[in-house]
Amino acid sequence: MMKSVTWKIAGEAGFGIMSSGIMLARAFTRAGYHVFADNDYPSLIRGGHNVVGVRIATSPFFGMNRDLHVLVALNAESVEKHTNELHEGSLVIFDPKDKDWQQGEVPQGVRLIPVPLRDIIASLNADAVMRNTITLGATVALFGAPFEHLSTVIHDQFIRKGQEVVDQNEKIAKAGYDYIHEHFPNETSLTLDAGTHTEKLAVVNGSEAVGLGAVRAGLKFAAIYPMTPINAIISFLADHAKEFQIVYKQPEDEIAGINMALGASVAGVRSMVATSGGGFALMVEGLSLAGMIEAPLVIDLGMRAGPATGMPTYTEQAELLFAIHAGHGEFQRIVLAPSDATEAFDLTVQAFHLADRYQVPVFVLTDKYLNESQWCIPVSYLQKPVTIDRGKLVTGDTGKADGEFLRYDPSPADGVSPRSIPGTKHGQYYANSYEHDGSGHMTDDAVKRKEMVDKRMRKVAAMAADMIPPSYVGDKDADITFVTWGTTRGPVTSAVELLQAQGKKAAVIYFPWIYPFPTDAAKTLFAKAKRLVDIEQNGTAQLAQLIRMETGIDIAEKIVKYDGRPFFPEEIVERVGENKT
Amino acid sequence: MATLTAEGLNTGFLPTWCPGCGDFGIWKSLQGAFAKLGIGPDDGLVVYGVGCHGNMYDWMRMYGFPGLHGRTLPVAQGAKLANHTLPVVAVSGDGDCLGEGGNHFIHAAKRNPDITVIIHDNQVYGLTTGQASPTAKAGFKTKSTPDGATDEPVNPLALALVSGATFVARGFSGDFVGLTDLMAQAISHKGFSVLDVLQPCVTFDKIHTYQWYRQRLYKVADEGYQPTDKFKALEKALEWGDKIPVGVLYKEDKPTSEDREPALASAPLVTSPVQSAHWDDLLKEFI
Repeated sequence: MMKSVTWKIAGEAGFGIMSSGIMLARAFTRAGYHVFADNDYPSLIRGGHNVVGVRIATSPFFGMNRDLHVLVALNAESVEKHTNELHEGSLVIFDPKDKDWQQGEVPQGVRLIPVPLRDIIASLNADAVMRNTITLGATVALFGAPFEHLSTVIHDQFIRKGQEVVDQNEKIAKAGYDYIHEHFPNETSLTLDAGTHTEKLAVVNGSEAVGLGAVRAGLKFAAIYPMTPINAIISFLADHAKEFQIVYKQPEDEIAGINMALGASVAGVRSMVATSGGGFALMVEGLSLAGMIEAPLVIDLGMRAGPATGMPTYTEQAELLFAIHAGHGEFQRIVLAPSDATEAFDLTVQAFHLADRYQVPVFVLTDKYLNESQWCIPVSYLQKPVTIDRGKLVTGDTGKADGEFLRYDPSPADGVSPRSIPGTKHGQYYANSYEHDGSGHMTDDAVKRKEMVDKRMRKVAAMAADMIPPSYVGDKDADITFVTWGTTRGPVTSAVELLQAQGKKAAVIYFPWIYPFPTDAAKTLFAKAKRLVDIEQNGTAQLAQLIRMETGIDIAEKIVKYDGRPFFPEEIVERVGENKT
Repeated sequence: MATLTAEGLNTGFLPTWCPGCGDFGIWKSLQGAFAKLGIGPDDGLVVYGVGCHGNMYDWMRMYGFPGLHGRTLPVAQGAKLANHTLPVVAVSGDGDCLGEGGNHFIHAAKRNPDITVIIHDNQVYGLTTGQASPTAKAGFKTKSTPDGATDEPVNPLALALVSGATFVARGFSGDFVGLTDLMAQAISHKGFSVLDVLQPCVTFDKIHTYQWYRQRLYKVADEGYQPTDKFKALEKALEWGDKIPVGVLYKEDKPTSEDREPALASAPLVTSPVQSAHWDDLLKEFI
C-alpha cells in the first residue's frame, strides 16, 4: 500500500495531456487525497514533447519528488525520454502499436503495462486524441481506486458540452479501467492507502490563485497583455468579469496596460496588471509613474527563464532584483513572493490592501512553476471573510474650500496623504508625474522637493506595521539552515524532511515579504544559524545579494539552479552534501 | 451656487508658454467648452501628456492627470472604464500622441472609448527646443532636420479615420469661437473624438505662422460638407496646401468601449460593490 505516488503522462502537444493532469488531480482530491501537478512543455501548440506530472498522497506535501511510479507514454519517444526516471517497481502504460516494449529495453524491475489504446479507441468509434482518457481509467484502476473517483470529474468537466460527451468520455475511461482489472488483476503494488482528509480541497493553478485573491480583494480593473506564464489569469478574469463586475481589458502592449491600470486606480478602483519579465520591462516607465503619483497598483510578475524571450515555458527566479530596482528615480514599493498557491491567494489579497494603505505599487512575484502547476487549497481557506481596507481614500465631499484639498499633504507621519478621486467634491488635484506640491501643482523648488521625497520615504518605516517576518520551519538547533524565497521553498522544505529522516537537524528560512527587506527579523534568525545555505533558482543568488546589501551578512554557501527546471528535494540533499567539507 | 464660467477654471498660476503660443487658444477654448457644457473643476478629468501642451494643467482647475510622455490615451481609457460617467479629455501633442504614443492612438480609435483627445499639432517638439515632430511636413527645417524633414508626415485625421475613430475634426488655435464650439462638440460626442488643432509655434517655427494658416484655412461647413461619409472625410483629411480644411470631417454613432462591457451595465465600477454573492459558485469550479 502506498502513501504517495507520482504519475506522469507524456506525449505530443494537442493530445489532452494538460487536461489529463487536472482531471486526475481533481479525482483524487475529491477522494480525500492531497495532490500536486506540474508540467513541462515547449513553447508550441502542436507536436513537441509535453509532460504533466501528478503526485497524489495521503498527507500534505510540498511538491514533486524524483520517485516516478507510473509513466503513461502516448508515444514511443516518451518512454525513451523518461527511461532514466524509471526504477524497480515503476509501471509504464503504453500502446504496443507505438512500440511493443519488452523487458530488457527498460531498466530492470520496471513493469510494462501494454494497453491497446488505438484498438480500444477504434472499437468505441472515438477520436485518437481521447487515448489519454483511457489511460486515466487505467491509472485509477492501478491505484486501486473506485471508478467513481474519475467519473464524477469527467461529468463535471464535460457536462457543459452535453450529456452525450459525458457518456462517451466515461465509456472510454471505463474501458481503460476495465482493461486493467481484466488483464492485470494482480498488479496491486501501487494501491493507495485510503485518502484521509475530510475537508473539501480546490485544485487551482497559481495564476488562478492570484485571480481568486484579486477578485476576493475587490479587484475592479485589470489590463493584461497575454504572456506565458500568466495567461490563466486572463481567462479567469475574462470568464468571471460579468458576475463580479470587473473589467478585464486586453491592452495593445504592456506600456498601455500599466497606464490603463493607473488611470483606473486614480479614478478610484482597485486595479492590477500581470505579466512576465519582458512585459514588465515595458512597464517600468509606468511603475515609476505609480511611485511618483502614489497610485495603488498590484503587479503580478510571473518570472520565467530569461533573458529576452529566453525559455518562455520554463521556470526561474531571476527577477527579484529587477522587481526591487526597476524604475527611474527612487520610489517606494512592496514585493511579496508567494511560495505556493495558498500564499499566492493570501498575498494577493494582502497586496491590494497594502497598495491602498501605503499608496504604492505592490508586487506579487510569482513564477512559471507556481503559475502553471496545480495546487490544492482547502475550500474553507478560500471562504475566509476578507475586510476591504482602502486606506486614506476620501469618499464624499472633502469639506475643503476650492483648491485647499491637499492630496499630497506632506505632513502625515506615515507619509500617506488623503486621496480623493475625480468626481469627489472639493477634492480637485493633479496626479502629477512631475514633482509636485501638496495639491499636485508642479514644483522644482528645493525645499518642497525635499519635503515631498521625505514624505514618500517615510512610508517605508510605516510599512513595518504590516511587514510579514521571514518564516523559520524546522529544527531549532539546526546544523543546516537553508535560506530561500518563492516556490523554491517547496522542494527545500521536502529536502529538510529528507535530511531529518537521515537523522540530521535542518531548517528553512523563507521570505514571503521580501521588500522592503525585513532586516531586523532576518538578522535575528541568521544570528542563531550554524550553517546558512542560500538556495534559489537563478544564476547569481539574488536573495543572497539582497541580504548582503540589507544586512551586511554574506551567505557564502549557495546552491543555485538555472536550467529552467524546479529543484527536486533529493537534488538539494545531494548538493548540500557535496558542499559539506 | 455660482455659475460656471471659463474664468472659474483658472488656477491663479500664470502660463509659462511663450507669448503668442498657439497653446493659449487651445487652453482658453477648452475652458470655454467645459463652461458651456457645465463641467466644473470636480466634474471631469483631463489627462495630459508631456510637451509644451502638457503644462496646461497648472492653469486648468479641473481634476488632472499629467502623466508620461505618450501615455495619455491608456490612462484616459483606464479612468473612463473605472468611471464611465466621468467626462475624460486627453490633452496631447503631435509628438506625444503620434510619436511616443502612436500605437495607443490607433488602438484607442479601434476601441471607441467615450473620450476626447485634443492634439496640439504644430510640427515641432517645443519643450525640447524645436526638433521635428511626426506631423512635420516634408522639407520643414528644424533642429533635428537641418536640411528639411525627409519622412512623410503622419496625418492624424486620416489615421484616426482608418483606425475607427467616430468623431474626427480639425480646428485652429487662432479661432477661439470656432475651436470652443468644436471642442464642445467633440466632448459631447459619445465615442472616441479626435480633434487635431493646428497651432503655430512662434518660437521654433517661423513658417507656419498665424498669418500662414489664416491664408489657407477654410471651414468645411461653409461648403455645405456633411460629415457622414468616411471616404469623403478621408479626402478632406488628405487635403493640404493652398487650401486646408477645418471643422468636423466625420461623425458616426457606434457603441463605445464602455457600452460593450457587461460589468458597466448597472453602475460605474467605482461605485459597484465588491461582489461576493457568487463566490461559493465560483469555488465549485475548482473542486
